[in-house]
Amino acid sequence: MRVVSKILNATFACCFSTLVVLGHAQSPEAKKPDAEIRLATTTSTEASGLLGVILPLFERDSGIRVRVISVGTGQALKLGERGDVDIVLVHSRPDEDRFMAAGFGSVRFDVMYNDFIIVGPQSDPAKLRGLPSASGALKAIAGANLLSPNPPIAKFISRGDDSGTHKKELALWSDVGIVPKDIKFKPWYIEAGQGMGEVLAMAGNLQAYTLSDRGTFNAYKNRVGLDAIVSEVPGLFNPYGIMPVNPAKHPHTKHEAALKLANWVVSPAGRAAILSLKVDGQSLFTPGAPPVK
Amino acid sequence: MNLTTATVEAFRLLFAFDPQLWGVIWVSLRVSLLALLIAAPLAIVLGFLLATVPFRGRRAAVIVLQSFLSFPTVVVGLVLYVLLARSGPLGSLGLLYTQEAMILGQAVIAFPVLAAFTLAAVQGADRIVRETALSLGASRSRAAFTTLFEVRFAVMAGLFNGFGRVISEVGCAMMVGGNIAGLTRNIPTAISLETAKGEFAQGIALGFVLIMLALGINASLNYFQGEGGMK
Amino acid sequence: MTPTMSALKVGAVDAGLLTITQLQKSFGERTLLNIVDFQLNSGNIYALTGDNGAGKSTLLRILAGLEPADVLRGNFESQSMNGADYTQALRREIVYVHQHPYLFNTSIAANIEYGLKMRGMDSQTRQSLAQEAIRWAGLRHVADVAPKRLSGGEKQKVALARAKVLNPRLLLVDEPTANLDRAARQQIVALLRQTASSNNCVVVACHDREIIDLPGVARLHLEAGKISV
Repeated sequence: MRVVSKILNATFACCFSTLVVLGHAQSPEAKKPDAEIRLATTTSTEASGLLGVILPLFERDSGIRVRVISVGTGQALKLGERGDVDIVLVHSRPDEDRFMAAGFGSVRFDVMYNDFIIVGPQSDPAKLRGLPSASGALKAIAGANLLSPNPPIAKFISRGDDSGTHKKELALWSDVGIVPKDIKFKPWYIEAGQGMGEVLAMAGNLQAYTLSDRGTFNAYKNRVGLDAIVSEVPGLFNPYGIMPVNPAKHPHTKHEAALKLANWVVSPAGRAAILSLKVDGQSLFTPGAPPVK
Repeated sequence: MNLTTATVEAFRLLFAFDPQLWGVIWVSLRVSLLALLIAAPLAIVLGFLLATVPFRGRRAAVIVLQSFLSFPTVVVGLVLYVLLARSGPLGSLGLLYTQEAMILGQAVIAFPVLAAFTLAAVQGADRIVRETALSLGASRSRAAFTTLFEVRFAVMAGLFNGFGRVISEVGCAMMVGGNIAGLTRNIPTAISLETAKGEFAQGIALGFVLIMLALGINASLNYFQGEGGMK
Repeated sequence: MTPTMSALKVGAVDAGLLTITQLQKSFGERTLLNIVDFQLNSGNIYALTGDNGAGKSTLLRILAGLEPADVLRGNFESQSMNGADYTQALRREIVYVHQHPYLFNTSIAANIEYGLKMRGMDSQTRQSLAQEAIRWAGLRHVADVAPKRLSGGEKQKVALARAKVLNPRLLLVDEPTANLDRAARQQIVALLRQTASSNNCVVVACHDREIIDLPGVARLHLEAGKISV
């Protein structure tokens, strides 16, 4: 009996100290085991592994369970508008602003962003350096080739694999009224259909431009002989915002718990968790708001 | 999309002559056939010489050739990539990410298959073939060619086998071709991309084409061998 | 069976076509052939007999230049035969027919034309000679059949026709009637008789009494490595 009680005591002490260390920021109310919120978010946050890294930490810290519904940005916002979820985490700033203006969200926080770069040969044949926007830079590539389509002055390699980066690239083209489908098979627009690393290697070999996320480029830049030509300009940031659903619109939502999640992801603990998600030693997301839109 | 609807869609794409799909098929056929065309004469001559001309180190040469049979295609791709890359020794040729690079790679992959089949066929030919030719007045070299001609169906089997190996090869084609739409995207690299994109219909349609090609090849090989090999 | 006896032994031209002064062949310790002073004459058919393993095939193959002898000294007409170099010219005078002849995987006509082609004959002459040889061998009814589908007897006939069109001075035929039925055997024997002429010599290795007992056939018996007449 004495042995058993000793073990029990030790176990209790251990648990208690853990709770003291981890639970210092929580109110007792949030630790109710039945506290559970529903988060609508985009597939990218789930597929990248981000939610798998940060949510367990939040759940441990807060005692609140988070059920994730991962859909497209538009669908996620609709779920919020209808009050089917308690909080949304998406990456489409204009849509988010409309969501807030219509009063569906109680508050919006900038959670994190990822960052694209237009990389290319050091010689920068299309003279992109210093251009103020990403789509402007792509337009300059297209323009440079009008003079000499074959052989092209400035090649551009597209991922062509329906990845997030590929979609980002297509969106940038469409900003300047260019549809890559229509320019396909032109010698300067190369649709690779491969991963980021392979496309960077290809761009290096062909001395072509391409759009890359910063993390992968950082991992490859020493090997591929490419420079970051255009970065940190509008169009190259992909910011994520988190918005608890406004209880004034949907009183049944668990606003208090949702707000806790929103506050946590922008807290130092949340920021550290976001930074801890790394691929090849590079963080996939940078916490906070992007320096420009 | 489940398997049934993907398959139905695959057939729709095929028989609607979807230009993108058939473009990919065309790239595959063109690259693989040209690769065989380049590799075959040299490989057959090599296999034939290995089988007929005794020289020091022949056994070693045969062993090397046979081990090349199981050489991974990605290694061929890697070596070719290093050679053809911009900073590589042949970088100035600008061959990387072209059909020519793919043809070269596939020719290298097909070469040992063709040579080994020829070697085995000529070696396996009965001594009596050569003796008959010699006794009827053929010179030694002429008798050797007669032997090669007599085993032409076995050599052809090597050709078909080599075609099967290169038409379905993905590693080297991806590395030196780059899977560029409309240029170096062939059936295997397209399948790999479509699968990654979740476009199973395209993948299945292309897989179906590969299977049909394999069937066609084996059927015609069987036919030819039947013509030549039946007692 | 039209040919007369005179076709078998045309005159007694005893000028030696082939004269062997010495022929030796051993396999390891065992001496298979040890022949001295042996002569083949034009205008003759010889039946080469001997037990299985006596070396009949080996002797024929050595004479045909398909197998090297340890020692070979002799003359074929005026050409000297040395085991080391068996000249193309000699090879064109001596044709060897295997026991189970190999037919090229082409057509019967192409098989018969093969040797003519090797001798640089034009294709038109080749074709007419081949047709003639097909008639001679009684193969017209199977002329379009793939060689691989012929029976053993038919294959043997094609091989004899293929050899005969070349008019070799020395024709060496290895057990042509072994494993054939009686009808085929008789046809082969008839063809063999017709291949002999005044200026050639036919050597047939056989056990076949139908050949050995033919009138005018000279017998060579191989035993213990030696030939006795």
